Amino acid sequence: MRNFHRIIVPLCSLACRLILAIIFYYAGIEKIADPGEFAVAIYNYQLLPDLAVNVLAVILPWLEIIIATCFVAGFYVRGAALISSALFLTFATALTINLVRGLDISCGCFGAASGNINWFYLGRDLSLLFMSIFVMIYDRGWRAVFILRSTK
Amino acid sequence: MILNRLNKALRQSLIILIFTVMIAIVFNLLRPAGIALLGFSSANLIKQRQAQIPEISLSEAHDLYLQKKVLFVDARDPLSYEEGHIAGALNIYPDEAALYAAKLKTNNYRGVLIITYCDGPQCPLSKETAYALLRQGVPEAKVLVNGWSLWIKAGYPVKKGRE
Repeated sequence: MRNFHRIIVPLCSLACRLILAIIFYYAGIEKIADPGEFAVAIYNYQLLPDLAVNVLAVILPWLEIIIATCFVAGFYVRGAALISSALFLTFATALTINLVRGLDISCGCFGAASGNINWFYLGRDLSLLFMSIFVMIYDRGWRAVFILRSTK
Repeated sequence: MILNRLNKALRQSLIILIFTVMIAIVFNLLRPAGIALLGFSSANLIKQRQAQIPEISLSEAHDLYLQKKVLFVDARDPLSYEEGHIAGALNIYPDEAALYAAKLKTNNYRGVLIITYCDGPQCPLSKETAYALLRQGVPEAKVLVNGWSLWIKAGYPVKKGRE
């Protein structure tokens, strides 16, 4: 029982990492498929100047895919978790601003086909933000699995 | 200890960012569906969207007017508006849309169709105001093309001065 905390926390962190990775892969691939559509989705948020719209539409999907790869591979996990927290914080801000403005725009969360923004999406985003922060603080890499094995 | 970790995380994230930017830009250059990095033009997009705003015919608009299911929005300048406008119309110039949008989204206007108009078949103001209102989150708006001329020619009720 004394070791409970030492086992369960790294395992939770590993689970969070893998969940985040799946979500990021899905989101990234959907967005890379049609950068033009994603640019329009960014524009609809009415937060960025024209010059920044396409730059973000090109870079953000790749950022998501590379972070996901870091999470799966257990490589640069803290850095990836830091970026992922920053991303979710930014998304949460953008969502909140437009929900308060009362705009009925496509979320763009998972490419063009995703639904319109609502408070549920904000909740989903915030839970992913907490998962990222958890990973950033507690991640022990794939070692977590082996620790479990050796204490059995 | 914590500072050390944060420092490490920051350094890692910087490397990830630089790497990502390079991959993303190269990939975008090479793929056939790549987009111009600085080439986003909201002006083109707005034009396209304004062209897609549905129009309504005079008779349909007048029917709804008699049923009080419509709010006319006069998109012309305030002077023309005071010289005469459709009775009951609000005066909303395109860049004033944000001021009125909150009011138009309240329950008082539920089930009321917003119809914008200006004067002349080529006049862009009605579409601009309709678009600006839609963009502020007003659920539906239609355009009565050449609305003012059609309305007075048909002899429907008009009003002078402010509402």
